[in-house]
Amino acid sequence: MLFEVTGLSKRFGAIAALRDVSFRVREGEVLGLIGPNGAGKSTLFECLGGALPSDSGVIRAGGRTVGARERPSLLFYVPDSIAPWPTQTARWALDFTIGFFHGQSQLRDEVVEQLDLRPLLNQPIGTLSKGQRKRVLLGIGLLTRQPALLIDEPFEGLDLRQRRDIAAALRAHAARGRTLFLSIHQINDAARFCDRFVLLSSGRVCGEGTVEELAGLAAARDQTTPLQDLEEVFLALT
Amino acid sequence: MRSRRPPFLWLLEKEWRELLVSKSWWVLLLGMGPLVGMSFISAVRTYAEVSGLNGTAAGVGEALSPLIGVWAPTFSACELAAVFLLPFVAIRLVAGDHQSGALKLELQQGLSPFTRIWAKALILLAGWVVAMLPSLSAILLWRSYGGSTYAPELLTLTAGHLLNAGLTIALAAAMAALSEHPSTAAILTLSFTVGTWILNFFGAIQGGWWERAAGYTPAAMVAEFQHGLVRLDTVLIALVLILSGLGFAAVWMRLGVAVSRRVYESAGVSLLAAAGILACTFATASWDTSESRGNSFPEPDEQALRQIHTPLRIEVHLAPEDPRRSDLDHRALSKLRRVMPQLKVQYISATSTGLFEQTSAGYGEIWYFLGSRKTMSRVTTAEGVLETIYSLAGIAPPVESDDAVFRGHPLAVAPKGAGVIFYALWPALVVAAAAVVRKSVK
Repeated sequence: MLFEVTGLSKRFGAIAALRDVSFRVREGEVLGLIGPNGAGKSTLFECLGGALPSDSGVIRAGGRTVGARERPSLLFYVPDSIAPWPTQTARWALDFTIGFFHGQSQLRDEVVEQLDLRPLLNQPIGTLSKGQRKRVLLGIGLLTRQPALLIDEPFEGLDLRQRRDIAAALRAHAARGRTLFLSIHQINDAARFCDRFVLLSSGRVCGEGTVEELAGLAAARDQTTPLQDLEEVFLALT
Repeated sequence: MRSRRPPFLWLLEKEWRELLVSKSWWVLLLGMGPLVGMSFISAVRTYAEVSGLNGTAAGVGEALSPLIGVWAPTFSACELAAVFLLPFVAIRLVAGDHQSGALKLELQQGLSPFTRIWAKALILLAGWVVAMLPSLSAILLWRSYGGSTYAPELLTLTAGHLLNAGLTIALAAAMAALSEHPSTAAILTLSFTVGTWILNFFGAIQGGWWERAAGYTPAAMVAEFQHGLVRLDTVLIALVLILSGLGFAAVWMRLGVAVSRRVYESAGVSLLAAAGILACTFATASWDTSESRGNSFPEPDEQALRQIHTPLRIEVHLAPEDPRRSDLDHRALSKLRRVMPQLKVQYISATSTGLFEQTSAGYGEIWYFLGSRKTMSRVTTAEGVLETIYSLAGIAPPVESDDAVFRGHPLAVAPKGAGVIFYALWPALVVAAAAVVRKSVK
């Protein structure tokens, strides 16, 4: 196990965005955080990434609590819908990532190829389309060094071919031992790509495991035969 | 392979690039040329007239100091820009990361938030130095006219405007970090500045603690530097305020920390700042860097005053708005405080204007207490005050010497070429540089 999240809660006034969220992240796996819009996926990632304070809950790794200051050595979080350094070029952003975040310079060319970033390198990030910006953000994330990479909606804004290519790129990095934790609201995308899943609905974890484990959980709860489709499992559990 | 350059240098480079592509900074640069030019040209013309140009009264210019006549008005353009233009540059640089989402990424590096805000402040200060180039080039132009310059007073003036810019940057950074939107930050920053002006106004009317507090506002601080006066307490308080502003910004930049904790930490920063400011008010050292020694009594008088070891107390029965009180303060008491740090001055008045106190018994009297002796005078000039003190202390007044008197540097020349430089050359240079630099940075 790479790290474990226990009892994470977050309220925005009267609204409980996360309620006692607990799950485990295994080393080298591709873990999908799935749930409908408004389930609390981004809030959970923001809390884990240190961009939002949580009301309660802890992260544990190696048997001890990981404090806010130690978190940057464990995980790196790539938010959705941001356009960092809009006046700077994609090339500069990648170089800055390598320099400022002590990123992996040896992966630079590979990441540029995998994400098809070469045509974008000299363009300011602020002028890129949503999908292009997403690819640059993924590049930034993949160049970082932390054992776990949290990406909010990695396929948002990408067309079918790009989704396929990027899924392959992410898989290649996972195969090298990098742990990927991806928030995906398209359940079919998640089903094709992830090893295990954390199901989130209305700020609560409804289940955690592989499709089979979740199907078993749903079947045990409803006393029916196990379902095969993640979508149906999700609907059954939420 | 890891980058050899430390993250802080990467951050500095990033902030510098952000500054270079910032339109607000280029607008600031563009505006500085005409602003400085207008002030400089007008100051040089007035200086020339007072120095006897076109047959005006000859000899009037003998006591003219370039610091008061030329540099204070020329550099006042910097004060104007620091209030109305620099905040927008600072807010853009600080709030930009929040707006674009870059802050969420950069915070994961693990650098302390104070280090991050420090990098921004350093770059903004460097940007301000570039913006001050027109003022500094005015010095070269003045030299080319045959004008006299005195390095210590020019350095003091420059340092004063750098400190003032530091205060603006710290304030704008704090407001940008506190508020969600840059426009809110701009409104808050300008409101704060207007607040300091109101404090100055209150100080002039109410006197007492208001007047004391008003002495530490940016406008009052700049005024001291413009007269070549460096007061340790003012400098230290400005530095404490700068550090506090940056501290506030650092506290509020940490997105992942609960708001309640940030509020407590802000209260801690405020308490520390208040304690620091209070401690700084006890620093009494000051330096008069003006060539004319405009902030000091003549050297022989200072030596004579230093012989008085008994604490002196002065009771002034004049209202805050009475011009005689202002005369007394500026011409005598401010100079006296520098020589006699233990001097105690007490102002007594029933009203703020003194208009209806004129007929009251004792109004207008200035009482001097030295040990068991006391005397009264109504004179508000430096000479009159010194005479009274010498008489009270039983000290013979020093012999006046003409050698030490500042004769001034009259210069009756027209500001040739200044218009071309400040109204045409500088703006053209800025526009060309903006086009080249912004393109190359992108």
